[in-house]
Amino acid sequence: MSAAVTEYKTLHVADVSVGDKLPSLDIDVTSGLIVGGALATRDFEPVHHDKSVAQAAGLPDIFMNILTSQGLMSRFVTDWSGPEAVIKSLDVKLGAPNLPGMVMTINGEVTACDAATGVVEVAVTGENNIWGMHMQGSVQVALPRGDQA
Amino acid sequence: MTANIRNKSVIVGVGNTAFSKDSGVSELSLAVQAIKAALDDAGLSPADLDGFATFTLDHNDEIEVARTLGCGDLTFWGRSHYGGGAATGSLHQAVMAVATGMAECVAVFRALNGRSGQRYSQGVSGNILTADAIHWGWYMPYGLLTPASWTAMLTQRWMHQTGVTKEAMFEVASTTRNYAVNNPAAFFYQQPLSRDDYFNARMIADPLQLFDCCQESDGGSCVIVTTPERARDLKQPGVAVRGVAQAAGEEQEQMTSFYREELAAITEHRIAAKNCYAMADLTPADIDAAVLYDAFSSNVLLQLEAWQFCDYGEAGEFVLGGALRPDGRLPTNTHGGQLSEAYIHGVNGLVEATRLVRGQSVNQPDKQVDHVLVTSGVGIPTGGALLGRLD
Amino acid sequence: MTPEEQKAFEDKLYAYVGVEVCSRKPAKDAVNETMIRHWTEVMGDNNPAYTDAQWAAQSRRGKTIAPPAMMYVWNQEGYSVASTGRASDPQTDMVEMLTEHGFTGVLGTNVKQEYFKEASPGDTVYVEMVIDNISERKATARGAGYFFETLATFSDQNGDKLGTQRFRVLKFIPQEQPAAAAADDKLEVPTRIPSPRGHDNGWWWNAVDEGKVLIQRCTDCQTLRHPPRPMCGECQSMAWDSIESTLDGEVMSFTCLRHPKIPGYPADPICAVIKLAEGTNIVSNVVGCDFEDVHIGMKVTGKVEQVDEKTMLPQFYPAQAGA
Repeated sequence: MSAAVTEYKTLHVADVSVGDKLPSLDIDVTSGLIVGGALATRDFEPVHHDKSVAQAAGLPDIFMNILTSQGLMSRFVTDWSGPEAVIKSLDVKLGAPNLPGMVMTINGEVTACDAATGVVEVAVTGENNIWGMHMQGSVQVALPRGDQA
Repeated sequence: MTANIRNKSVIVGVGNTAFSKDSGVSELSLAVQAIKAALDDAGLSPADLDGFATFTLDHNDEIEVARTLGCGDLTFWGRSHYGGGAATGSLHQAVMAVATGMAECVAVFRALNGRSGQRYSQGVSGNILTADAIHWGWYMPYGLLTPASWTAMLTQRWMHQTGVTKEAMFEVASTTRNYAVNNPAAFFYQQPLSRDDYFNARMIADPLQLFDCCQESDGGSCVIVTTPERARDLKQPGVAVRGVAQAAGEEQEQMTSFYREELAAITEHRIAAKNCYAMADLTPADIDAAVLYDAFSSNVLLQLEAWQFCDYGEAGEFVLGGALRPDGRLPTNTHGGQLSEAYIHGVNGLVEATRLVRGQSVNQPDKQVDHVLVTSGVGIPTGGALLGRLD
Repeated sequence: MTPEEQKAFEDKLYAYVGVEVCSRKPAKDAVNETMIRHWTEVMGDNNPAYTDAQWAAQSRRGKTIAPPAMMYVWNQEGYSVASTGRASDPQTDMVEMLTEHGFTGVLGTNVKQEYFKEASPGDTVYVEMVIDNISERKATARGAGYFFETLATFSDQNGDKLGTQRFRVLKFIPQEQPAAAAADDKLEVPTRIPSPRGHDNGWWWNAVDEGKVLIQRCTDCQTLRHPPRPMCGECQSMAWDSIESTLDGEVMSFTCLRHPKIPGYPADPICAVIKLAEGTNIVSNVVGCDFEDVHIGMKVTGKVEQVDEKTMLPQFYPAQAGA
């Protein structure tokens, strides 16, 4: 069964350098994703599932909740790092809302890399194609060191 | 006092277009047809015109009219506000210009598609198709949308032609910042700009980085102008205007004069300089300090050349020799400029230029400053003024 | 508010600093595979550390874990937020007080989660929360307001600390009351800002829509002019026709608009003044190469292309060597 473990590649800290770009990820923002994300994070604030409440708040439609944005940011980084990476922190600055019909493009770049601890910092941005910056921040993950393989 | 305008200006030509309910042509076309008809009536050509006067309501930019007609240099444009109140208001502008010698031949015009275009009877509504909107239409679709991007285009060309590097732009930004560091009114008071800060700042529009660009500020500035007789009775030392000029050059556009033989020559400033020095009977050697319009650091370099403090291509060497610094040949933007004091569209520059002559500049205290140059924007129809002590 | 009222209000507000919003309490559900799977499905997260027990058994951890980003999820209040409203606590009281004083706007601005230990199915997540700090009154782009920050600390059934969350919120006086949005405003994908079309330039843009770049020509003295205008500056003739440009040219100057990003435009568009072989200049984009490869004097060749859903534009490419 050891094949199953190696099926998922995890980066080692030696594989990573400051300035490395992560593969970018396009997220189609739909009503399904917004409502589904709100429920999966047990966020029942009406602005995330009830269009009339969102419109009363001045937005044309329901919008993505913060916990879903955090979830997508975490996924974006571990898609790249692999499953043995341990997330140490997730720091998000919030910008324009994500509404149905938008496409959010997530990009990331390695900004720090500590060979001794294996901790790598990735700067992440999520920009939607209509209103621009939805989220930006940094994620720290601890990667296995080569000598631990 | 009574205005001394009597018999100092003369109407020598008149012209109308055809009048209709649907001209089928642009307002610009109507304007140039009317002006051409008046020139023909007078036996003059477009090259004889050096000024325009019209309504603030008119949609035709003077430089578009000039370019379409094939005029040469302009030294005057003035507009009068308040609808039909501007009919003799425009004439009033033209008369002042001619009587004072600011212009020799001014076209007073108004052209409108008042029935087929924007109808006053319909109230204020609809999309108004102005010369301005058409002009920006040549640039907006490509992403050339900001003052930084237009100025970058001139700067890039100028650096290519002259070999001047960003070191010179850093010298402008850092000298100006050092002045602001001492100026309690400046946004960047006590905040020096290091070499690393400057060169590591983000790119805005190549080659302009963040600290090559002025701030965006809230604020207001004002200067009061009166007669020498009254000035002598007032509490501050008077600062006389020795010369003041406006200028637009051939192939002039608003920030986008990209169709000239040489894009980076800023001819408009050269014309203003020539006229200003002549009016004041001064030369660049007489000027002790300057407030040069600095929406962008490179603006300062181009103006040093246009106002003849050095030759074309030599502004880099001039500033790197320390000329703009407190004890340099030409202390410049001693308030911190728009880069580092505040961006009040250059009128805070008029305030500082006045203070320099009065000996009240924070950064040039008690220095004898006989003559100061203060200028307007770069890349547009612009101007400058020479100030000195009231005798 | 008068200065005195302001002072009384702020005294009441700042009394909330350090106040406990909730003391340590367990989540209603233990960490479980079902809720984890619901979360990973929506996020599109295929990380086997969360859902593949077989893989996890052989991994360093030896078992599956909950996504760390779910840390806050376990203790959420649930459907009552939608049905009966959020239960009252010191944080909701403080928010209400701010609302009553005109600070009606609310905006989450920052969330920072730090993780110290991973939780696995069977663990129970406990949370405790305090109002950690409140800023002085600040002028923000959205209006004057106060930032407050809550600090939530998460632990497991053994008292081991799992992580913390700092959540920063702005309560503000909206500069403009948000108009309720119209019922079904379609979100339009932005496109490039078009030129308005009038008598003097409409024909030029209409030709671009048909794939051609024209140059206006005086039919009396044959002088070419661009941008188009109704009279010849050389001979004052108003008669004109046009020729079609071959779109061969040379870069006179160029720049790249890095900042700001403009909706509807590609990132970092390269703009250039190009001298066409016919002799007139045109402003356009240079595409098909890196910014570093663009230089003054570079030969380029253009074609009219559809650049977005609504816009046809001439675009210039580096000329093929020898072409």
